[in-house]
Amino acid sequence: MMNRTIAPETKTVKHIDFQSPEIDTLSNKVDVYSMRKTDDETVRVDFVFDAGSLKTSKIIAQLTGELLFSGSADKTSDEIEEKIDGLGAFTGVEVSTEKSTISAIGLREHIVAITQTVVDAIINVNFNPKEINQLLQSKKKQMAISLEKVSTQARRAFLSDLFKNSPYGDLTQLEDYDQIEQSHLIEFHKDKYLSGLQYIAVVGALNDEDLNKIKELGNQFSKEEVTTIDYDYSYTPNNIHVEKEQALQTAIRVGRVLFNKQHEDFIKFSVVNTILGGYFGSRLMTSIREDKGYTYGIGSGVAQLLETGYFFISTEVGKEFKDLTLEAIQEEINLLQTEEVSETELTLVKNYIIGQILEQSDGAQAMMDRFIAVETYGMDFSYYDDFIKQVNEITPKEVKELANLYLNWEDFIVVSAG
Amino acid sequence: MVEFERFELDNGLRVIFHKDVTTPMAVVNTLYDVGARDESPERTGFAHLFEHLMFGGSINIPNFDGPLQEAGGSNNAFTSNDITNYYDVVPVQNLETALWLESDRMLSLAFTEKSLEVQRSVVIEEFKQRYLNQPYGDLWLEFRPLAYEVHPYRWATIGKNIEHIKEATMEEVKDFFKTHYHPGNAILCIAGNLELEEVKRLVKKWYGDIPAKEKKVRNLPQEPKQTEFRTKTIERDVPSDVYTYGFKMAGKGQEGYYEADLISDVLGRGKSSRLYKRLKKELELVTDINAYVLGSIDPGMLMLSIHPSDDATLEQIDAEVWKVLDELKSTLIEKPELEKIINKVKTTKAFSEQGVLNKSMALAMNELMGDANLINTETDEYEKVTVEGIQEQANEILQKTNCSQLIIKAKKNDE
Repeated sequence: MMNRTIAPETKTVKHIDFQSPEIDTLSNKVDVYSMRKTDDETVRVDFVFDAGSLKTSKIIAQLTGELLFSGSADKTSDEIEEKIDGLGAFTGVEVSTEKSTISAIGLREHIVAITQTVVDAIINVNFNPKEINQLLQSKKKQMAISLEKVSTQARRAFLSDLFKNSPYGDLTQLEDYDQIEQSHLIEFHKDKYLSGLQYIAVVGALNDEDLNKIKELGNQFSKEEVTTIDYDYSYTPNNIHVEKEQALQTAIRVGRVLFNKQHEDFIKFSVVNTILGGYFGSRLMTSIREDKGYTYGIGSGVAQLLETGYFFISTEVGKEFKDLTLEAIQEEINLLQTEEVSETELTLVKNYIIGQILEQSDGAQAMMDRFIAVETYGMDFSYYDDFIKQVNEITPKEVKELANLYLNWEDFIVVSAG
Repeated sequence: MVEFERFELDNGLRVIFHKDVTTPMAVVNTLYDVGARDESPERTGFAHLFEHLMFGGSINIPNFDGPLQEAGGSNNAFTSNDITNYYDVVPVQNLETALWLESDRMLSLAFTEKSLEVQRSVVIEEFKQRYLNQPYGDLWLEFRPLAYEVHPYRWATIGKNIEHIKEATMEEVKDFFKTHYHPGNAILCIAGNLELEEVKRLVKKWYGDIPAKEKKVRNLPQEPKQTEFRTKTIERDVPSDVYTYGFKMAGKGQEGYYEADLISDVLGRGKSSRLYKRLKKELELVTDINAYVLGSIDPGMLMLSIHPSDDATLEQIDAEVWKVLDELKSTLIEKPELEKIINKVKTTKAFSEQGVLNKSMALAMNELMGDANLINTETDEYEKVTVEGIQEQANEILQKTNCSQLIIKAKKNDE
């Protein structure tokens, strides 16, 4: 008879093999990172520009990025899209605060042609006024819809207050869409795209010849040095409520300015964060979802910006549970601050975290993502070795100390919307 | 080519094993042949509620997530109108933990009152968060009963309304488990850097003694052929109108499915598609428009999703949409356009089946459709489609009498 009450023995993950990409530098100083050890049939090519939203005002960065395929003097947007679709490709544009990533994904056999088309479009775009207008109408509509969501309202109220002294808090308004001129986009494109290529990332089993062709395309841009600005990240703890009468749920955002992976406490605080709200078995999930049923999901995290970061707790709860939820969150934080986490729980969290790193390093694309994540902060893969080491070594006492240092309710901005 | 082995236990459990030497992770994917379509019309939302209950502890193991996390693993699940799918991703050396957990909850759940009570509340919050408290959130709750009058696809996976979930009893829950959660109704896919003999040994060890149950023969009421245009207009507190069109089409794997899927791509997938180019770029009647198919096992739908421009009328948009649809019926598309679409399908398939988890889910799903090897032959089916076949299928499904239309109008504020 099987004894199903006894768990099979488990073995902890001892070591993770991190593989660096090949690194080449073009004559224009642009770096090309490539991960080619893979059996996957598709290839992904990312061109990353110093064209994030902080590099300019209003929504110029976002619009410029989204208009890169909108047509040039010789090719209409239809013709460009037709060419890209014809090659079975997918393109993506992601504009963050710091940078803009233009991606192309396609089968190996087509990727050089796809990349040529993409680069050609980016370099020669002439920002046709009709195209600009069509995009503005579409985005205004999307934003109006988004603003109806309590999660959006909470997030916006939270970020704009937390970062009221820096551009990170200067969020897009609907009116911004009415103040865009073609010249803004042309200028930004010239500065931050033509002269703003930072690096190229290639993931896929390309042969040398194809990789060289893609590198050649990178030479069509130039690279200006990125200037960093010192922003003021000071904030004042606060309580904000945004009412939405007919809402059935209230979105809650709680948090504070904290740090990013460059800070000495980041790794150990990550463990504290995981215990509190960073996985399905977390204190917050166990209490507020699994025990009380107030929500479909609650979690916490540390979001990383270039020079700093912020801690946040986020959830949507039945409207009638708002105050009870805020109390329950405080209760869980208080528990972490007053009682040491048990060795059993801490071991479970450590094993889980390391298992997650293993999963998130699985495969060529994941490995490239891990590389970029540290390269952005001027670090290398030794960061992950250090991560695993610190996670393995953290003690219950340290968890309690860090909870007391960084999770004080009086330091938080507390936002509810709905 | 995705290589795999297949074997079956005496109790009817179908097992697929895929060896992947490139990953340090192992996947245990369990697909149960039960979805929202198998629910009683008075107890909708059950399959999904049940998915939640599967995490509330099994007969020998009070906590599902904990031991898996302890082993460095993670997991999730989803329910559709057709299936319920559970997957675990663990470091390969801890495969047995996942098998121990999954087999125990296939054997029997703990069925505690507390678990039912809490998951009821959680699902109700999910109902609110994803459907009731979002702009256009109840679109599918309105559209499904419009398009389907008889077939269980007429209700959404989340359920017709919150009351059905509120009133679910423990007896009904136990009954549902007995009927649908047993080895003969499941497909288990295991993937990772493992050996077949070891996988067989572990599967027999943990699943071998789970008793077989008779597989309930599915006998769902068939949706009669639609013979009239259906339309419904509702007002909602949203910033702008949205139009949804649905055309009945074949189910996955049935004749006409691949043609219909490609038709949806020709019409509205991506910025070089016909509806996008004509209605958005050229005529500026919409700010967004796209087409897709639901991909259901029973006869499904080809959908159009339309965001009208502020100054365009329904009549204008409707007229132009039908012109584009009619053109597809009257004129053969050119080979380059067909090739373009098939290229996109190939890229999507290659991309979406990368990684050991994606492969596992695809293998299980294809086995449910009759043969796991469909993962390798599916592209051939698309490449067999001809321009004549596209035209034929277009004439079959893109008819007004086959169309259901939901108009969501933005409530205008009184000045």
